[in-house]
Amino acid sequence: MNRLMFAALLATSALGSPVLADTADGAALNASSWDQIVAQAKGGEVNWFMWGGADNINAYVKDYVGGILKDQYDITLNQVPLTDTVEAVNIVLGEKEAGNLDAGSVDMIWINGENFRTMKQGSLAYCGYTAVLPNNALINWDNPAIANDFGVPVEGCEVPWSRAQFAFAYDSAKIDKPPQSIPELLDWIKANPGQFTYPAPPDFTGSVFIRHVVYYAAGGVDSLMGDFDQARYDAAAAKTWAILNEIEPFLWREGATYPTSITQLNELFANGEVALNFNYEPSQFGIGVDSGQYPATVRSYGLSDGTIGNTNYTIIPFNSPHKAAALVLQNVLLDAKVQLEKAKPNVWGTTPGIDMDRAPADVLAEFEALPSHPSVVPHAELKKHSLPELQAAWISAIEKGWLENVGK
Amino acid sequence: MSDRLRIALLLAPALAVIGLLFGGGLVIAVMRSFNWMPVIGLTEPNLDAYRNVLSDRDFLQSFLLSFHISFTSTLISAVIAIAAALLLRKTFVGRQTINFLFQLNLTVPHIVGAIGILYLFSQSGSFARLGHAVGMIDKPGDFPALVFDPWAIGIILQYVWKEVPFIGVIVLAQMQALGTDYESVARSLGASRWQAFRHVLLPLILPGVLSASVIVFAFTFGAYEIPALLGASHPQALPVLAYKSYTDVDLASRPEAMAMAVIIAFLSGLMIWIYLRATRAAVRG
Repeated sequence: MNRLMFAALLATSALGSPVLADTADGAALNASSWDQIVAQAKGGEVNWFMWGGADNINAYVKDYVGGILKDQYDITLNQVPLTDTVEAVNIVLGEKEAGNLDAGSVDMIWINGENFRTMKQGSLAYCGYTAVLPNNALINWDNPAIANDFGVPVEGCEVPWSRAQFAFAYDSAKIDKPPQSIPELLDWIKANPGQFTYPAPPDFTGSVFIRHVVYYAAGGVDSLMGDFDQARYDAAAAKTWAILNEIEPFLWREGATYPTSITQLNELFANGEVALNFNYEPSQFGIGVDSGQYPATVRSYGLSDGTIGNTNYTIIPFNSPHKAAALVLQNVLLDAKVQLEKAKPNVWGTTPGIDMDRAPADVLAEFEALPSHPSVVPHAELKKHSLPELQAAWISAIEKGWLENVGK
Repeated sequence: MSDRLRIALLLAPALAVIGLLFGGGLVIAVMRSFNWMPVIGLTEPNLDAYRNVLSDRDFLQSFLLSFHISFTSTLISAVIAIAAALLLRKTFVGRQTINFLFQLNLTVPHIVGAIGILYLFSQSGSFARLGHAVGMIDKPGDFPALVFDPWAIGIILQYVWKEVPFIGVIVLAQMQALGTDYESVARSLGASRWQAFRHVLLPLILPGVLSASVIVFAFTFGAYEIPALLGASHPQALPVLAYKSYTDVDLASRPEAMAMAVIIAFLSGLMIWIYLRATRAAVRG
């Protein structure tokens, strides 16, 4: 394979055409036509670093998306699984420090929130290319929840992939009516000692749960929107820590310790050590039931006072040597059919990042007719009470504050 | 070609790997720990990171926890390993089988052992289920907290399980090389069995026990994966705390993570040095 590629390289450079597989110059690509980009990407590879903790997601990426790339564009997709997205950000940062400005090892990252802010903070992203992608037309950039990633303007530095909204889950064989709002949940925790816990930040999911309590303590999310403000933070945080410390003795292990990852909470839930679980991706409960991890009686639901939703994206590092192939991959991911496949409950069941109303009529019809998994709360239902994410600076402050005031 | 040159050439590949990869990494870590990180605009070296880390109560608690884990694991492992070696050097039926079983865990990776500990000792693990089946406990919470616990019992169990055969194999080899002649002489001169062990055999095998213990101590002090899998959310073992700081989304906390890593490396080195000095003195005395 390598020898073949080398021969091809020699042949193309002898003919005076651009050298294959090195498309590190982003500015040149931004000025190219789509056909030129596809031609440059042909025969190359793309290294996609992404959270790899769910088998169904890995299979969709490797087999389905990787298959399309191979068959239609002759591009090899190498999926590099991570436990935490920040590991990929660290690689890019380390390369920049070492002076590696055009031959990085990371071509694409599945990203959002604080990690996106870090990429922008360190000027680590390749930007300004969205207009080049044909499927950019399917993205609704007028939606502030798409154009801002946890409050940080996207500004053409990444493209949306999926949308997610937080949901809770319980076993309907054990509980008749689970708590329907944050105040109800707090009462429920006190009435059912040892049956609830949440992962300690910086775990992503645990951090989202805490933000729900912050919103409740602040009397709604409105006062927390916009740029970070110390006075408004202090007011909301003091109430939040009081609430969380008050329920601590009623948590699993009397709050002496917290799970350190969502995977650990999933196991406690599966083993019946705790009665409630939650996830940013409700489809995970359907996947868990199908794989036998959870009983079939598990049900998921949203809260009457709302649950937090977000958008996740794919980003291309500034020093990726395979930018053309990464752009082709992004365009494939944004394709209406490929997004439809991702929305199927037996594949992944996540909400499309594109505006499905802009999809071709037949794809839209199929999307609207998708069956739902009994354990997964329908997105239409969740969407009725949706809360926005905070800007990354708020989230960092809340995570640090929790460790300081509750976690010790 | 002179001998010296030949030796230098033969060692060069190994030294190049250690020097470049390990030494280079260490140099970069030390540079970053002094707040020198031009890529995010830190170009004025200073000691802020060390000041922050050393004045942080979290860091002190994590240090005490890591020390407790390493010290307790090493001590328990060494005692059990010596006892096991004393039994295994005798001749008895099935000794080879027992010897084989004793060394079996040496081949099992630490992480696999940690998962085993989770399955057996968590509050919904096999022992908890057994306890429930015979009516000793009502619900998972009644089973004593042996993993994710503040005393790091699960972590120590895992290390003892894994390190007993490691120290044991070294001690056993040493005992077999020594034979039983010295002890026989001591016994014939009127020493009790305990005296023969304490004053004759133990000083003879101590160098082996010590070098094996130093390896175990240094390894458990710097290891990340077991405390990450079996540890409580607070306080965390030093390597876990350092990694958490390294993966903090705020780039400004990188120097602190590096300072922690440098301190861990320094403390491991220092403790091994003290340990070696103290024990050498004890052997001579």
